[in-house]
Amino acid sequence: MSLSKPTWNHFGPHQHFLEKQNPVDFYRHALSSSFLSPVALSLSAAFSHPISSNSANMNALSADEMERFQKLSNTYQPEVQGPLVSTKQSSHSIAMDYSNADPTLATKTNALAITHPDCRIMKGDGNCGWRAVAFGYFETLFTLRDTLRIETEIRRMKSLTTLLERVGLSDSIYEIFVDATEEVLNRIHAAIQNGAQDESFLVEAFNEGYSSDAIITHFRILTSAWIKLHPHRYQSFLPMPLDQYCSSRIDPVKSEIDEVGLQALIDGVIEGSGFGVEILYLDRSEGEVVTPHLLSSNRPSGATIRLLYRPGHYDILYPVENTLNMAPIVNLQYGMTSDYSQWDQTLGFDVNSSLMAIPNLMQDTPYGMGAPMSPMPSVSPTPASPFRMSPQQDMYQSSMPNHAPIPSIPVSPPQIAPSAAPPPMTSLPSRSSDGPQIRLNPLVMKPNLSRSLPVTTPFKNSPYNQAHFQNSEFEPIHWEPHDRR
Amino acid sequence: MDYSMEDTQNSAPEAQQANKLHTSGQKTDTQSVTKRLQAELMQLMLSPSPGISAFPDADGNLLSWTATITGPTETPYEGLILKLSFEFPNNYPYSPPTVLFKTPIYHPNVDFSGRICLDILKDKWSAVYNVSSVLLSLQSLLGEPNNASPLNAQAAELWDSDQAEFKRHVLARHQDLDDE
Repeated sequence: MSLSKPTWNHFGPHQHFLEKQNPVDFYRHALSSSFLSPVALSLSAAFSHPISSNSANMNALSADEMERFQKLSNTYQPEVQGPLVSTKQSSHSIAMDYSNADPTLATKTNALAITHPDCRIMKGDGNCGWRAVAFGYFETLFTLRDTLRIETEIRRMKSLTTLLERVGLSDSIYEIFVDATEEVLNRIHAAIQNGAQDESFLVEAFNEGYSSDAIITHFRILTSAWIKLHPHRYQSFLPMPLDQYCSSRIDPVKSEIDEVGLQALIDGVIEGSGFGVEILYLDRSEGEVVTPHLLSSNRPSGATIRLLYRPGHYDILYPVENTLNMAPIVNLQYGMTSDYSQWDQTLGFDVNSSLMAIPNLMQDTPYGMGAPMSPMPSVSPTPASPFRMSPQQDMYQSSMPNHAPIPSIPVSPPQIAPSAAPPPMTSLPSRSSDGPQIRLNPLVMKPNLSRSLPVTTPFKNSPYNQAHFQNSEFEPIHWEPHDRR
Repeated sequence: MDYSMEDTQNSAPEAQQANKLHTSGQKTDTQSVTKRLQAELMQLMLSPSPGISAFPDADGNLLSWTATITGPTETPYEGLILKLSFEFPNNYPYSPPTVLFKTPIYHPNVDFSGRICLDILKDKWSAVYNVSSVLLSLQSLLGEPNNASPLNAQAAELWDSDQAEFKRHVLARHQDLDDE
């Protein structure tokens, strides 16, 4: 074995036994491999360095080299990829990240992609929470396209400077941070007047490291001052004295925001703008949807900053817009039905997996098969919450190309005795297994009919159709005694 | 056994070094750094704090300064003049300056190369700190060393056990630096 060809295999245990004809070599390798293993990460740099390319040197690293490696190891920071603030993107990417994760997370992220189809990813560099709130604040202002409101905000942000003075910061220190915020506000003002199409100028501004840092520092020091000036509200939530908390958790650059800091940031900086701030917590708690939590006293409205919180990280979310419905059109009637036991008993449905190759067949099944309209008790009487839509998510995702396999969710097969509990709505069969399953009307099985599949439009105007509950414009017809209609 | 993992580990640091080089070439706003440092210099000259001073080096590079601290009264450093160097990063104040004692100093939180162990110069750095607040922190560190995390263990031990001996070490190590 030649020492002049250092490869990793030389340090593998197998190699030692294959090549132990030279006891000195063997000893040397055994020594170096055991010596290396605990510090493999920091020392692995040695192998890429020309000085150490001769593996004989590995046993005797000079003090200088050791120091250099220690320094490399100490200053090691995982390289976080991506821009500081991303462009708006589909929330499906989040759902895909979790498609192979815990089923709770998969269900929740799938539901999230329906209710909040767009998101904006923050770089996980320790500033993400601060950056998400700051960006959300400026973007919301831009979205409103109200120059008067921006002028008000410029005045308000300047007036917040008194907070900084009251905690003894000198203007020579805070000036550059306040200026950075004001400059962005002015740019938004100009962008509205110039009729800017989209918020890309804002994304650019936030991706300039220096001004991005300055704005975040401005928000940090305002929050820090706010906490110091309102000790009664925050002290009891803090594990340490208030001043120490601010200097160790709020002020330091790249210190992640925590719950108290976030609340103080919203109380002190955002609340006065009248914007709402809502956080959606993605965790493994029970339920099928992320848990929303309103942090401001302002009600959620068009001017609400929505954050997605995953432990240790914040991103921005955008809900389905009311005026312009971006969500794919799905037959809501399907989603309303959660109990199939009726069909099992009365119709004797069968399973035909070959039919399921047709993507949208499932959607109209209960009605499209000419099922009687009367048995509606299975339908949930409450208007469907917008969060309970995960099944449809599965459906139209299936028609998307290049889609990652949907996580297999346990499903109770329909062949189970009819008295058994019906499968819940989230238990759509996994497409990655042996194909979807559905119970079909026996008529479908007849050869003459199987070529012309029933594609009946649902009874859109039927009083039994509860889909209109989903419509924000929906108003039930009230019968009035004097109404002559 | 599969060694593919080890191979990735092996190549990682090189790739990472390349990344670091790349990021250091990122857009930096030297103008803003200069503006901030000029404001700090102005502040130090208009309202100087007793016992501290700082000025940019003569080479015209605003990113490196020399500072002095006068040893506070009622400490072993009383009356000593201590010189320090400040190196400011390109994204100052969003990263801390590198601060070193140039004057040889015997102190629990300073090593023999002059490197300082002080949290606000590392992970507790905030963009609201400046040259003056760093110097004031160092001045108080002289009188109140943090013996929980010493760089000079012998000094930490002596500080607690024998103040007279500690002071002898301080004076033995101290050398006044000539102005260059």
